[in-house]
Amino acid sequence: MGDKKGIKIKFMSKEKLRDKNFEEKLNIILDHVKEHGIVVLEEGLTPDEKTKLIEASLNNVNENFPGIEFSGFNSENWLDRFLKSFGIERKQGFVIVGSSRVMEKLTEDSGSAEILAKLR
Amino acid sequence: MFGWLKGLFGFFGKKKEMRIGIYGAPNTGKTTLASRICKDITGEETGWSISEVPHETRTVQKKEKVLLEREGKKINMNILDMPGIDTKVDFEEFVRMGINADEAKTRAKEATKGIVEAIKWLDQVDACLVVFDSTQQNPFNQVNVTLLGNLEAKNIPIILVANKTDLPNSNPDRIRDAFPQYKNFVSVSAKEGSLDNLYNEIVRKL
Repeated sequence: MGDKKGIKIKFMSKEKLRDKNFEEKLNIILDHVKEHGIVVLEEGLTPDEKTKLIEASLNNVNENFPGIEFSGFNSENWLDRFLKSFGIERKQGFVIVGSSRVMEKLTEDSGSAEILAKLR
Repeated sequence: MFGWLKGLFGFFGKKKEMRIGIYGAPNTGKTTLASRICKDITGEETGWSISEVPHETRTVQKKEKVLLEREGKKINMNILDMPGIDTKVDFEEFVRMGINADEAKTRAKEATKGIVEAIKWLDQVDACLVVFDSTQQNPFNQVNVTLLGNLEAKNIPIILVANKTDLPNSNPDRIRDAFPQYKNFVSVSAKEGSLDNLYNEIVRKL
């Protein structure tokens, strides 16, 4: 980011994520948040993926990177629930992930979240 | 994949031995609760360390053969007190709490390892008590959402435990309102009073 003070925020569209497997998405997230950026993905994560995200982040913890804060929603309508019963999972929603040194969660409920992006 | 088979066994009879994981965010009173359960049932102290400083429990602590007998049922519990699940472990936070930097870094490293170990145990527990601090303003956070979502996906029976009801600002309804879909719910103080409601819920629901 050079001399400029600020936080780099990376947005990734559903289209851009479509042909990536979870490991690739995880690497994108970690590469960015380890540099104290914030990543916003236009898709929700399953509970299993969230666990893997936590695990992978913790495996990368060091003195400069203490881990992550994240938030997001999985919006599910009747069609998603119907398809899920056949094992087809559509990942609607979004997820926002940042290093806990730059992202602080203020409030969160099942439909909204407020975060504070802290300048370093 | 074998969730339905597990459910079928659960329907036809209780397992003789049950590994009960005590999960939750840091400082929700998991170790206090686990120790209290062991003491109530076996009469023995666990000697597990308890502290206000987060991540005091940094390895999985086990107490085997905790036999709960109630309402004509017997459950032989292996109690597994888990490190608090978190998405971050910042050594600077320990330094701010008065721990010297070297010790803080070691503590952070151990805590990180402990959380990963606790996550791996999710595949090996038969049932879980998910512990919440009922004085917390907003229990809806990604640690709790992820934990509950995972246990649900794995078909692991759970009881939500709203702890610390002895404190004046305790409000278990905040937890109930945040996670209305989970019906197995009890409010307790692991520090004082009876845990009868929890023991009844364990023999009825797990």
